[in-house]
Amino acid sequence: MIDIKDIRDTARDMLTKGEARAVIGYRRGSRGMLAEPAFITNLEQADELVWDPTCFHNLSLYLVEDRKFLAHLRKTANAPIAIVAKGCDARSIVVLMQEHYFKREDVYIIGVSCEGTGVVDERKLAPLLNGAHATSAAFDGDDFVFTTAEGEKRLPAREVMADRCLECRNPFPKEHNAVFGEDKTGRQLAEPFAALTRFEAQGNSARWDIWSRHFDRCIRCFACRSVCPMCYCDECVVDSISFPVTAETTAEDKANRIRWIERSAVRSENITYLMTRAMHLAGRCTDCGECERACPVNVPIRLLNNKMEREAREKFGYEPGASIGGSSLVASFLDSDPGDFIR
Amino acid sequence: MSEQQTYEPRIVAFLCKWCSSAGSDLAGVSRIQYPANATPITVPCTGAISPMYILSAFNKGADGVLVSGCHIGDCHYIEGNYLARRKMHLIMQLIEFIGVEPNRFRMSWVSAAEGGKFAQVITDFVNDLKPLGPQEKLKKAERA
Amino acid sequence: MEKILDKKQIDGWIAALTAKSQDGWEVHAPMLEEGIWTYQPASGAVRLDHPNTNQSPKGFAFPQREIFFSFEQIKGEAPRLTQVLPKEQRHAVFGVRPCDGRGVPRMDKVFTDHVEDPYYNARRKNVAYVGLACNKPPSPNCFCLSVGGSPVSTDGLDVQLTDLGDRYFVKAITETGKALMTAGGKLFTDPSAADQKQVKQVHTDAVAHPQRKINDPDGAPAKLRASFNSPLWEEMARACIGCGICTFLCPTCHCFDINDEVQSKAPLKGQRVRTWDNCQFPDFTMHSSGHNPRENTGARLRQRVNHKFQYFHENFGMHQCTGCGRCISGCPVGIDIVAVVNKVTEHAG
Repeated sequence: MIDIKDIRDTARDMLTKGEARAVIGYRRGSRGMLAEPAFITNLEQADELVWDPTCFHNLSLYLVEDRKFLAHLRKTANAPIAIVAKGCDARSIVVLMQEHYFKREDVYIIGVSCEGTGVVDERKLAPLLNGAHATSAAFDGDDFVFTTAEGEKRLPAREVMADRCLECRNPFPKEHNAVFGEDKTGRQLAEPFAALTRFEAQGNSARWDIWSRHFDRCIRCFACRSVCPMCYCDECVVDSISFPVTAETTAEDKANRIRWIERSAVRSENITYLMTRAMHLAGRCTDCGECERACPVNVPIRLLNNKMEREAREKFGYEPGASIGGSSLVASFLDSDPGDFIR
Repeated sequence: MSEQQTYEPRIVAFLCKWCSSAGSDLAGVSRIQYPANATPITVPCTGAISPMYILSAFNKGADGVLVSGCHIGDCHYIEGNYLARRKMHLIMQLIEFIGVEPNRFRMSWVSAAEGGKFAQVITDFVNDLKPLGPQEKLKKAERA
Repeated sequence: MEKILDKKQIDGWIAALTAKSQDGWEVHAPMLEEGIWTYQPASGAVRLDHPNTNQSPKGFAFPQREIFFSFEQIKGEAPRLTQVLPKEQRHAVFGVRPCDGRGVPRMDKVFTDHVEDPYYNARRKNVAYVGLACNKPPSPNCFCLSVGGSPVSTDGLDVQLTDLGDRYFVKAITETGKALMTAGGKLFTDPSAADQKQVKQVHTDAVAHPQRKINDPDGAPAKLRASFNSPLWEEMARACIGCGICTFLCPTCHCFDINDEVQSKAPLKGQRVRTWDNCQFPDFTMHSSGHNPRENTGARLRQRVNHKFQYFHENFGMHQCTGCGRCISGCPVGIDIVAVVNKVTEHAG
């Protein structure tokens, strides 16, 4: 069991010694049980840090934000940023370093092991609380304990855990400067890619029936893109902001400029957006599942990323976020790559 | 005649400049007969084809998309087609995953000397596409 | 007009509304699909037991995508423009919560007050809202009482339903509402004195339920005006990821973008469309020069909050926010408009 005091002490220690200019972690939010991202820059704030089953967020996103902000100010950092990272989050940080987004010494990773559990899936929890709303959530061995107006509710973590956590192969952050919690790698609560395998068991037309409805529901709020640490492009293919329309822009100009994806939230454009995103994440997505959690209309975005992850693993022996020095999936190849599909 | 019989699939063919595009030229100058369903787009190398091109072609109404380049080992840029092989494998898997007929996407290696093979690839692709009918799944709606 | 409708008869009422061959209504009701409540065409088995819908019903008058006109240009000829007005079809939206009902007059202000938007108007005049009072707050983030609303408010509604257990107390608010009820004919019965008493009690209890609270909603416009340069904005928006959930789910956000969607280049053909836009997207205020006046998340959060609680109030004398709490529940990183308004107004002194 992780004692939150250890994380707070580390944060305080880092800030006191000037070894970190900020600590990014989790604190209690103002809405129910949910934790929210915290940006700790002074010692008192360190006591706000929490670690509970609602610490979903992949905070490495804010390392990207910080980098962009510094670049904008044309400043360099005087000290690293410390960040609380779960197994999946730490792998994201590795991918970012692999892509030279920042250097290893720019970040101090305070690793937290998810041990035998992971984070809660609110969508699984809601029906089990019978309409009550939890005001707090805590780890307790293999259980989660929720506080509601009707009293304490103890549930086996397995029943309310996010699929990605059940299927997680590496709940321990291998890359870290400090780490808390036991290394339970190989705990195997569910088969890896279990949800994907279940989905793929259906035939081609059944899969299309399901996906077409998902694509129809997408409202293009871009929460999946915004919440993803890997979606760091300054300009996304869907935005095309580098094509300004001025008084001089002719109809011809407009017709000839490349617009990969229209702004309208209609099926064809939603497909192109979501599929492109899945391709851009191939070999980079570390299955933190934030895109799927953030989606306000429950599009199972994770399945697309999972599909790419499994292909990469099975066909190319590639594991995202495994090593900082490794080459990226689509910028490398093996002689043994499958080529049977080519005529 | 029913619509099925008159239906001619539209193929967008991304051809590498060094091999397959030259191969298609050879098919032409050799006067090899093959269906005229493919619209060729010459690219410098198959390795330069973004999966976005393929999605975009389907989005704009292609019934089938062909990617064709140099045989493994023959790439003008040494390794472009190796990289393409990986990327195209992934996009093909993804398209199939959401329930689009896998036969709508095809990849082939056609060298500059293989005019006959190019004609065969197109002929086979057209024959495989015909029973599938028009591609509506990824296509932009006319007006919606 | 006040009536009682047995819950078992609601499908009958909907059938009566849709059946009228001449000017039939298309009825929409909240349905649960893939874990979210969305308005869907009602075809029986309507049970208004939803908390609130995932998205507000604003899309019935202000859809996420609206085609303005189509264009076509043949070489050597003048461009041909064809206006595309929405189809004449009446829509009755069932189960609208009071907060969403109060969103309707706010949207009307924007699209009909100073300038008449023909597309909005063409849709709006054909939509009727059948509301459902909240006997208890459907979301832990409800705060309608803080923004001048109430769980039993009838603003913006044509009919109000109140759940009395096995039956609804049905009250017509507008002439359209009366017409809707008249279409139900004998399905409705007259309320007894006991019914009247019960509905009064239910409404009293509904208002008494504790909700989240904005501490000084009346002082907010002036205090926000004074806090424009407050460092709090940046601090509170630190976690903001710049997605569109808060505004796309909101019953009153109405910003839009207009684009030409080209379908073919020869001949040049396509359509001009309006789509929802969102002040939280980084490119919302991006200039052609590359300069962005709302450069960071703090400035963008301030825009959203100030629009709801200051600018709109200054223009129309009411808060634009109706307290549905969707932006709070939906935010992936915990940005909470109640907490934000409270914090800024407290610090403004």
